[in-house]
Amino acid sequence: MKYRMEKNPLTGEAERELTSEIRQRAGAGGDTPSRPPDAYWQNLIIRVNNRIDEATSGRALSISWAGRVAIPGVVAIVSFLVGLHYIAPDASFREPSVADVVLALPPAAIDSLLMDPSRADPSLSVEDVATDVFVFSRQQIAEYFIDNGNAGDALDAIPDRDANTVLSVLSTDEK
Amino acid sequence: MEPRSDIELVQEVRNGRRQAFTELMRRYQERVYWVARRIVGSHDDADDVVQETFVKAYLALGEFRGDSSFFTWIYRIAVNLSLNALRKRQVLNYLHESELLSRILPSPDDPEKDLEHSETESALQHAVATLPEKQKAVFVMRYYDEMTYEEIGRVLKTSVGGLKANYFHALRKVREHMRNEIQDGEKPSHG
Repeated sequence: MKYRMEKNPLTGEAERELTSEIRQRAGAGGDTPSRPPDAYWQNLIIRVNNRIDEATSGRALSISWAGRVAIPGVVAIVSFLVGLHYIAPDASFREPSVADVVLALPPAAIDSLLMDPSRADPSLSVEDVATDVFVFSRQQIAEYFIDNGNAGDALDAIPDRDANTVLSVLSTDEK
Repeated sequence: MEPRSDIELVQEVRNGRRQAFTELMRRYQERVYWVARRIVGSHDDADDVVQETFVKAYLALGEFRGDSSFFTWIYRIAVNLSLNALRKRQVLNYLHESELLSRILPSPDDPEKDLEHSETESALQHAVATLPEKQKAVFVMRYYDEMTYEEIGRVLKTSVGGLKANYFHALRKVREHMRNEIQDGEKPSHG
């Protein structure tokens, strides 16, 4: 019989046999818990009605509103702000300027950028260097080309935009 | 005067007549109580479930569309709340076992609890308590309430085939558990 039940677990007969066996065994032990007294049922209705009153009162509604709207809203906003702080790029971050990079170099390296190494003055310090070492006045540019001569060769080797700048400086200098 | 149908009472509640809901409670409180009691095992937990079931039903009555009967609808609420109560208790038991709760809760030496505990000590209830929650719910509805698979399917929103398989497994487990318990009880005690 067991084999048949194992093979056909969904048959009504197998179910009835099992149920019957369980009822028989349970019958001896008396498995039904005692029924609560009548007063319990009357009292139950009163308690449920009280709870419904509480649930539909203004206070409960406001708690309900807080639970459904306000608290999830606050949580969402806080989560958004936390996410923004950790995920969004830091707006205060900026690329270091060329001046920052240059000023971070050892003094000797800065000197070598500024002048011909053969004319480098060992006494030149970082404080003597302008804040932005790559900003030159028109006067300085003009003097460079006058000192080094052969401006035509220089103009051939540089881009048109820079050549125009040099020419404008030279023309200004000539005036 | 002929008693009003569930649907008529529901309509009256919707129209603001609270007394009609009391009538619905009177009709179903015992069945709701017993399904909860069979699933959760104790009177106190069942009492909580019954109250919660009716409060939820009242508040959600606007969502009751009448696709199923009012009883099926409220029964479904009760079964779901009972299963939730079981899960909560499992978590509490786990915490208790790990001795976290034992530091903050007094020991349960309430005599009423002891009485209730001994009352639920029957072999069948022991066996039902060991079932997984889905099988337990199906077992309670089928074995105790003698509901048809179609009715249970409407409550649990599950296929009849799945329910039959669940019930069959539950029956076998219960039978094995009872057999073992009875055999253990018949063994002579040593010492």
